[in-house]
Amino acid sequence: MGLKPATNPDVEAASIELTIDGKTVSAKDGVSLYDVISSTGKIIPAMCYHYTFDPFGSCGMCLVMQEGKKAPVRSCTAKATAGMVIRTEGEDLFLARKKAVEKHLSVHPLDCPVCDADGHCELQDMAFQHGVTNLANAKQKFIPEDTRSIVLDFNMNRCIACAECINVCKDVLMIDALQFMKKGGFNQVVAKGDLPLSCEFCGDCLAVCPVGAITNKYSKYLYKPWQMKKTTSTCNYCGDGCQLYLETKDSEVIRVTSPLSWKNKWGDRSETAKGHGGLCVRGRFGFEYLDGKSRLTQPLVRENNQLVPKPWLETMHQVVDRLAAIKEKHGSDAIAGLITARCTNEELYLFQKLMRAVIGTNQLDSSARYGHMNFVHATRHALGFGRTPNDWEDLTKAKAILLIGSNLTETNPLTAVRVKEAIRVYNAQVVVLDSAVTNIAKLASHPFLIKPGTESLVIDGLVKATIEHDLIDETAVEKHPRAFEALKSAVAGLSFDHLATQTGISVETYREIAAIMAEAPRSIILCAEGIVRRADGYQNVLKLIDLAWITGKLGKPGCGVNTVTEEPNEQGAVDMGVAPEFLPGQSRYEDTAARKRFGKAWDVTLPTNGGANLIDILKRCKSGQIKALYILGENPLGTLPASMEVRTALDKLELLVVQDPFLTETGRRAHFVLPACTYAEKDGTFTNLEGRVLRVRQAMDPIGESLPDWHIMTALANALGAQWPYESANDIQAEIMKLLPGYYNLGQPRKVTPEPDAYLANGYAVEVKTRYRIAPTTTDPKRPFALVMGQQLTHSGKMSTEALGLIKIAPNTGKLRMNLQDMERLGIQDGSKVRVTSERGSLQLGVQAEASLAPNTCFFPEHFNEPPVKDLMALQVDATTGVPSFKHAWVSIERA
Amino acid sequence: MSVAALTKKILHAALFYEIWDAMKVTFRHMFHKPITFQYPREQRTLPDTHRGALSLLRYDDKRERCVGCDLCEAACPSHCIKVVSAEDKDRPLQRYASEFYIDITKCVFCGYCVEACPVNALAMTKMYEFSTHDKRTLLFDKKRLYEIGERHLEDAKKYLYAHNQEKNVEESREYRYYFPQSVIKPTQSTPKHLS
Repeated sequence: MGLKPATNPDVEAASIELTIDGKTVSAKDGVSLYDVISSTGKIIPAMCYHYTFDPFGSCGMCLVMQEGKKAPVRSCTAKATAGMVIRTEGEDLFLARKKAVEKHLSVHPLDCPVCDADGHCELQDMAFQHGVTNLANAKQKFIPEDTRSIVLDFNMNRCIACAECINVCKDVLMIDALQFMKKGGFNQVVAKGDLPLSCEFCGDCLAVCPVGAITNKYSKYLYKPWQMKKTTSTCNYCGDGCQLYLETKDSEVIRVTSPLSWKNKWGDRSETAKGHGGLCVRGRFGFEYLDGKSRLTQPLVRENNQLVPKPWLETMHQVVDRLAAIKEKHGSDAIAGLITARCTNEELYLFQKLMRAVIGTNQLDSSARYGHMNFVHATRHALGFGRTPNDWEDLTKAKAILLIGSNLTETNPLTAVRVKEAIRVYNAQVVVLDSAVTNIAKLASHPFLIKPGTESLVIDGLVKATIEHDLIDETAVEKHPRAFEALKSAVAGLSFDHLATQTGISVETYREIAAIMAEAPRSIILCAEGIVRRADGYQNVLKLIDLAWITGKLGKPGCGVNTVTEEPNEQGAVDMGVAPEFLPGQSRYEDTAARKRFGKAWDVTLPTNGGANLIDILKRCKSGQIKALYILGENPLGTLPASMEVRTALDKLELLVVQDPFLTETGRRAHFVLPACTYAEKDGTFTNLEGRVLRVRQAMDPIGESLPDWHIMTALANALGAQWPYESANDIQAEIMKLLPGYYNLGQPRKVTPEPDAYLANGYAVEVKTRYRIAPTTTDPKRPFALVMGQQLTHSGKMSTEALGLIKIAPNTGKLRMNLQDMERLGIQDGSKVRVTSERGSLQLGVQAEASLAPNTCFFPEHFNEPPVKDLMALQVDATTGVPSFKHAWVSIERA
Repeated sequence: MSVAALTKKILHAALFYEIWDAMKVTFRHMFHKPITFQYPREQRTLPDTHRGALSLLRYDDKRERCVGCDLCEAACPSHCIKVVSAEDKDRPLQRYASEFYIDITKCVFCGYCVEACPVNALAMTKMYEFSTHDKRTLLFDKKRLYEIGERHLEDAKKYLYAHNQEKNVEESREYRYYFPQSVIKPTQSTPKHLS
């Protein structure tokens, strides 16, 4: 079971044979004896063992008798060798193990009744199993509880020094924030350097602690494990789609736990390639918004310029009357809708059905438009599918990974853990190209700092280096000689010197990176917000596909171009057809046959006039073409910069209906606000970035009078004259299953095979001509600083700002993050005020130093609008995909 | 029927013998101390082990004994106890019950909760009169339970003593769990048996 995988997954270890309890067992050479015994199904107690890391051997419980040895041996640290004769049961072993438990208990306080681990404690279980009732020499440690950290309390009286927390932090997560330190005569677990713990706060140490030595501040003393209802659900913070357990008492979320726990310590080590079961800080500690005080509990209606609570029935009557009146007077195309990708697949499907079949307009969009759409369009155009081709296992077992424009440990921490495992276990070469010193760059074998905003040029350089240094894959290129010739002549116009000076990456380095990617048998390219959320995102993804093609990596197992998403269901939003260009299943909306098929299924004729995406919808709102907007969980006013004039657009509307669990900036301007449920109060599914469809389960009753989104939409549709029979999310699922057979893949997505032939054979030559153009110099001497807005580890969108726990860890400092050198050059200190000026405006705000930033860059988290840094951003819309990019701007900074 | 028997019967009838015979019991009880007593004007003396209403107790320095460990709730066979625990805001790291409810209408007076209590915060008293016009008053909350505890402190202590839960002070401390407290400021000295 817990067999440590070989460094190279392609090589099988030799097989050996040994005898366990009279039975001959074959095992792989060089693994721990404990793993061999547990692979036979026998379970020996072990308190310091967990399959995700190497055996540590401190608890002394896993004792077995080996023939030829007088004393029992610890099976976890013993290597299995051929011909061993092992006995795992017997009176003597039981007594030896009992002695080990007694040794631990003799210095362990008997404060079980007030301990949070009571009832979920391995030491307690062991004491019970071995019948320890009397301790001759009990001692107490009297160590003060370490409460300096914001999130975790360390009670070292209870610690049994199993080091699981330290090992998981060091080996699995590669954060290495904990250590042993001899203090007051005892070995204690402390944060590195005996400082207050300040790490990524993933809480995996808390999950693996077999006793109550590490406790969670946010739910301290609020529970006993047996009092809570445990619901398996899917996290709704990012596209990783981690499974988690929501533990609730009545309608209160007490804590969130992960499948990673000391309770399931037996497993196949190679299975961690599919995920180690842990969570990140958002998933584990960002749950307080679910039953928070800021939740909307009643529908609100605007009366005399104020939002007043009203009963559901009255509100719905008014909404429906006004929607119907607008449809009657101005036609269907006077109505549009926006939805967030934090909704379930069922709700996304229902939303587009509501807009298209009931209201009769194709003006709808989801928050996948903010970036993921660039990737979807590019891969669909080039390869024939609109999602990532690789899963976590491919990523873990890759030999080379190119991370470009992605601060992976911050945006998608659990995908980052896969890359870390690739580095640690499988010795992958990881190339990181980013304009900041990211955490993953610190671990990578080939980290490179590029100049801000030059991602596109870097890819140009890589493609050029691959071609010029003959790193191309002949068989892949020979199939499409014309396309290759076109690409060759397109990059011929680029000059390496120009690329090198612009990007800060030397010519030699381009060659090195290209060689790594070309020569590795499995190489994965991963691009994220730095590519898809920036200008030319669509073209840049296509360039990366070019790179994969010429190195022969398209369609090879374990290779491909991938992305990650910020919201949990961006992929689902695309798959469910919440975009004017797509029908469910990513059928093109222009495709008459597909439109007919869905029209028939829904018993309507679908509108043929072209729809509108997010930007077009806002433009049409401003021009008065759209009179009514139905916004579901989206917050365009809080997200888009002021230059987009969202406020003017919304103020022009005759009817703005906002449906959200919280009163957002957009909601405050609405005519009607409908209270919706969060994911903890409804059933459904999310599609994660690997394409796995994961279940979301209802953990508690809706707060107040809030209702699930699908319920509100069904009521709305029926009031508008449709006859929707849905009584639960399952009914909607049944309909999707009929229309998209095989979509519900039970967590096992179908492998997609790229089919680039059509793309390369037709039109590629024309397309590629303009793709590799020499970009004009981007830097303006008047505005030397690159202002980047991006994600923080502890936050996700605007939603996480409602989670008190996360705000406690990372509050809105309202300060601009700057590089220390820049600050010295400008003569400013931490906390002093600066004036930031972009072409869109100017703003005065405080400054704080941030070590991860490169010179000439500054950063502000996109989760906070106070001060309104986002309004300094210019907005550019991609011509092909309609994706707005507004996360990057050139600014000047001076002392205020 | 013989003459003697007939004579006896007539004599008995003439002298109302059966009546006197029956009244014998009555007269005998006229001089007997009555077994019944005039409840509620008179109250029975109860043994110390009597299982009556539950109460919450404080230490002598008025600190709440209850640490909110939820074990009484877990032990209760009729599920009539609900404990809501939290961290004490005034004394960091100290767990206490912020809310405590006992639905005495559901209680079966088994005394398991008292046995489960690691700090002897719960005890049964000799209070058994629950008649009320409003059943809702029988849902005892924390305040009410402490009031009962104060009013019946002696009985509660006797109950614990009689059930071998709390001997004299020194012994009882040995019996009880010792909670390592916030060592920001030690509040308890090392117990005797540990030093």
